[in-house]
Amino acid sequence: MVWDWSYAFDILPEIASALSVTISATVVGFILALVLGLIWTLLIRSTNKIVHHVANGIVRFIRNTPLLVQLYFIFYVFPSIGIALDPFTAGVIGLGVHYSTYLSEVFRSGIESVGPGQWEVATALNFTKRKTWTRIILPQAIPPVIPVIGNYFITMFKETPLLSAITLVEILQTAQNIGASTFRYTEPLTIVGVLFLVLSYPASLLIRRLELKIAERY
Amino acid sequence: MAEPIVKYNKVTKYFDDLQVLDEIDFEIQPGEKVALIGPSGSGKTTFARLLMMLEEITDGTIEVEGEYLWHEKDDKGNLKPASSEHQRKVRSNIGMVFQHFHLFPHMTVLQNIIEAPVTVQGRDKKEATKAGKDMLDKVGLLDKADAYPAQLSGGQKQRVAIARALVMQPKVLIFDEPTSALDPELVGEVLEVIKSIADEGEASMLLITHEMDFAKEVADRIAFFDGGKIVEDGPPSDILYNPQSERLKDFLERFMNTQ
Repeated sequence: MVWDWSYAFDILPEIASALSVTISATVVGFILALVLGLIWTLLIRSTNKIVHHVANGIVRFIRNTPLLVQLYFIFYVFPSIGIALDPFTAGVIGLGVHYSTYLSEVFRSGIESVGPGQWEVATALNFTKRKTWTRIILPQAIPPVIPVIGNYFITMFKETPLLSAITLVEILQTAQNIGASTFRYTEPLTIVGVLFLVLSYPASLLIRRLELKIAERY
Repeated sequence: MAEPIVKYNKVTKYFDDLQVLDEIDFEIQPGEKVALIGPSGSGKTTFARLLMMLEEITDGTIEVEGEYLWHEKDDKGNLKPASSEHQRKVRSNIGMVFQHFHLFPHMTVLQNIIEAPVTVQGRDKKEATKAGKDMLDKVGLLDKADAYPAQLSGGQKQRVAIARALVMQPKVLIFDEPTSALDPELVGEVLEVIKSIADEGEASMLLITHEMDFAKEVADRIAFFDGGKIVEDGPPSDILYNPQSERLKDFLERFMNTQ
């Protein structure tokens, strides 16, 4: 096994260009996960017993089954019930829904860290339910959990190669395609690893700094 | 006598099987300052929290300015549970100061005070800021307007909480043991502020307290709670110096002994 620098530099642009797919799948998937995660949390907190149990059941089910199986299901089984999705959409939905169940747990812990007194004083000052959430509870619940949310973002970014299993041509799939046509896998796969490292390591440092900043304030 | 501003009618409260309030009738007149005393667990806090709608009423009605707080009349004139709009409308007459202050930790002192006037009452931000600063001045903390709650002492926090409740211009202001969570040396500054509000006071006050001297000084009337009932209710001089019931005598005696 010999490392060929010129070959590596030849294929680098092609693999790097597939990064845009990886990054956009991560960003769109994560936004979906954030929104859906908060919705799960609120549904689980519902005083309506049925809503509570149904939401709780769905979240547990999704959290305790593998992402890869869910991706296959969305991509290969959904068409049989009339929902045919392209690989990117299916992948983003799979990632987003799966991670929303983890984020829901994060939001829950953040919300529970806000004491009952804050709810009572919101009632005493006659806040509506909505304003209590948006002005009092969430602004206190979210900042302490931002580092955890950030870590999930990085974890999700590193899981995007799973989307190659449902034929999305992201960077791993691109590298494999190159390997398959040249029979040289060392350089393309190494480049994939390095690209992930180059992006996620600085991101984790950034989150660490954010964590310290937030700890200072609270 | 004028119409009472608050009227409890056979108010009963259970927590599961435990009865904490037993068919209580009670009235507060406009501008009247009423102190609630009694042993812990006697129901006085629950009594006040029902008025702030922090607990669900089990039975009976409460009226504020002649309007039901927990109920509404349907087309036939029968009482039904109030909608949240109705609750909010009637509740807007009531304000409360808590034992543990509950300031918003993510806002400065001034933001704490103007948040509800702007967000809830829809008041103009400039006007609310001016009103907020006036209130801060009144409680002697204008210089702390831009501080965060974490930077304040307990006494200062409670004074901010008082300003925050006052700026909403409630007609009835509840104080739930406002000095119980404070270090002894900080109690005085808070009592002084409450007293000055009471002296100015158009607002009625419902004051749950263990500070008997303070109750005597501020209140027009003292109600003694025991076992979920109001056992005695009258002017401070009667209640404190001429108790009729054994239970109040016991309570005052035990209280004097622990002082």
